[in-house]
Amino acid sequence: MARRRSSVRRAGAARRITPGVLIAIVLVAGASVLVFTHAGRNSGPAQGAMQAGDDGAAVAGRAATGPLRAGESVFDRIAALWDETGRIQRLEQENRDLRVWRDLAQRLAERNARYEALLRVPHDAFGEGADVEHSIAAQLVLDSGGPFMRTLVANAGAAHGVRVGYIAVNENGLVGRVVSVGQQTSRVLMLDDYNSRIPVLGEGSRVRAVLAGQASHPPDLYTTPFQPQSPRLDFIVGAQSLREGERMITSGDGGLYPRGIPVGVAHRDTDGQWHVALAAAQRPIDFVRLLPYAGVTPPEPTAAPNQAPPLNSTSTVASVGHSTMAPPPTLAPPPATPRPRPALDANAAAPPQPLRPTATQPAVAQPSNGEPAHTSPPAHAPTQTPPAQTPATAPAGTLR
Amino acid sequence: MIARAPSRAVLRTWGFVLAVASVILPALPLGPLFAQPPIPLAVLWAAYGWAAEDESSWRAPVLLALLGLLHDQMAGGPYGLFPALYLSAYLIGRIAAVVMSSPNLLSLWGGFAVTALLTVAIARILAPLGLGDNVSVEPYAEAALITTILFPFVRPLYMSAGPSSRPQPGLR
Repeated sequence: MARRRSSVRRAGAARRITPGVLIAIVLVAGASVLVFTHAGRNSGPAQGAMQAGDDGAAVAGRAATGPLRAGESVFDRIAALWDETGRIQRLEQENRDLRVWRDLAQRLAERNARYEALLRVPHDAFGEGADVEHSIAAQLVLDSGGPFMRTLVANAGAAHGVRVGYIAVNENGLVGRVVSVGQQTSRVLMLDDYNSRIPVLGEGSRVRAVLAGQASHPPDLYTTPFQPQSPRLDFIVGAQSLREGERMITSGDGGLYPRGIPVGVAHRDTDGQWHVALAAAQRPIDFVRLLPYAGVTPPEPTAAPNQAPPLNSTSTVASVGHSTMAPPPTLAPPPATPRPRPALDANAAAPPQPLRPTATQPAVAQPSNGEPAHTSPPAHAPTQTPPAQTPATAPAGTLR
Repeated sequence: MIARAPSRAVLRTWGFVLAVASVILPALPLGPLFAQPPIPLAVLWAAYGWAAEDESSWRAPVLLALLGLLHDQMAGGPYGLFPALYLSAYLIGRIAAVVMSSPNLLSLWGGFAVTALLTVAIARILAPLGLGDNVSVEPYAEAALITTILFPFVRPLYMSAGPSSRPQPGLR
C-alpha cells in the first residue's frame, strides 16, 4: 500500500511539468532574452522583420479599413440630415465670427509686415530648414494601439524616398518623426510617445522647454483615439513668462527638427504642470506630410577679407539706426553755449542726422535753400538754455 | 424545439478569433470603440483558459507566442515583450489550475485577477528594459483591469467552470 501511494505521488509530480509548460518556459526565456538584450528591437533581423511586417500590415489594414472609412462618410452625411437647419445656422454664426477675426488678422498681419520690413527681418519660412520642396504626402494606415508605444504607420516608405529622421506634419502642425522605414511604409514616432522629447519655444514669450510625451489616458480622450494626448513641458527656462494659451513651436535646438513648426498651445493643469494641446490633434490624423530636414546653413568660419565690412553705413544695423534712432550726445560736450531753440513744429519730420557729430567736425545742418533748418533736439541733449539767452550770432540748427 | 448549446470546439474557435481580433483591431484606425485600452487583452483570457483546459498540449504556448509576436509587430516592437507577458500568464494560469482543485466562477475570476496583476508586475520589469526608462505600464494596467472586469462574460469561450476537465494534482 505504501509502495502504491508513493508511486501515485511520483506520477502526479511528473505530470505537473507537462510538455506545454516546458515549451512555455522555454519560450518565456527566449522572449525575455530578446527583450533584455534589445535583440528584438535593435538587431538587423529584427528591424528587417519589423519593416516587412509593417508593409504587410499596411496592406491588410488598407484592405480592412477601406470600406469602413467609405461607409463612415455615408453615415455621417445621413446623420447630418437630421439637423440640417440648426447646422446651417451654427455655421452662419461661425462664419460671421470668423469674418471679424479675419479682418483683425489681416490688419495685424499688415502691421506686422510693415514692422518686419522696417526692421528688415528675413522672411520666416515654414519650418526653417525644412525641405518643403521634397516633402512626401502619405496616408495613415495603421494606428499602433500598443499600450507601451505611440506610433503611426504611413503608406510611404523607402520606395517613395522616405528616410529615417523625416519630420511628419499634418495640416495643423507637428505629428512626429520617422523612426523606421520599410519599402512601402514608414513608422512615425508620435509626440506623445514616452520616448519623445522635442525642444520647443513659446512663440510670444520665447520661453524654451522640452516637450515630453507621456501618452496618459485621461477619460475624456477615450472618445478620440487618433488624437495624441497632451505631452508635458519639462525643463522650462523662464517658466514665469510662459502664458496660458501661448502657441508653442519647435525651437530647432538639437538639430533634429526645423525651427518654427507649430506644435500646439500651452496650458496649465490644476497641479501646475504645463502641457501642450497638440495642434496636430485638432482633427483625427489621416494624411501626413513627411519632410526632410535639410538643416540651416551654418555661417562661414571666417569672413572673406575682401567683402564688405558689416558695420559700415550700409549695414542693416547702421541703416536702421540712421533712420530711426536719435543721435546720441557727444562724449565730451563743450562748455555750455547758447544754442538756438528749434522751431516748435511737432509735425515737422526731422531730416536724417549724422550719427555722432564730433568736436572736430561740427555737425551743422546746412539748409539747401538758405533758410534756417528745423531740427529736433536730440533725445539725450544736454539741458537747454532759455531762448532769451540765445545770441544772435549763433548758427541755426547747430547740434551739440 | 430545443436549441443545442454550441460545442466546446466552436466556443474555443470563437475564443481564438476574439484573441486575434483584440490584437489587430486596436492597430486599425477604425474609431473610438476599437482603441486601446477600451479593447481588452483577450489573449490574457486565452492564456488563462488554455492553461486550465489544455495543459498538456504544445499548441497553447506556441499560439500564445505567435499572438505575442503579432502584437509586438502591430505595436512597433520590441519583439519578445508581449510573448513574455502572455506566456507568463499561461504559466501563472497553470499554477492557478493546479492550486484550485474545485474551482467555481468566483475563484476563477479571482485567479484571473491575480494573473493579470502579476503580468502587470512583469510588464513593469520588462517594458523599461525593452523600451527605455520613460515607458509607463499604466495603459497596460488599465487594459488588464478592463480585461479582468469582463472575464466572467467571456469565460465560456476559454474554459469551463467545472472541475471535470481540469487537471487534478496527483492524478493520471
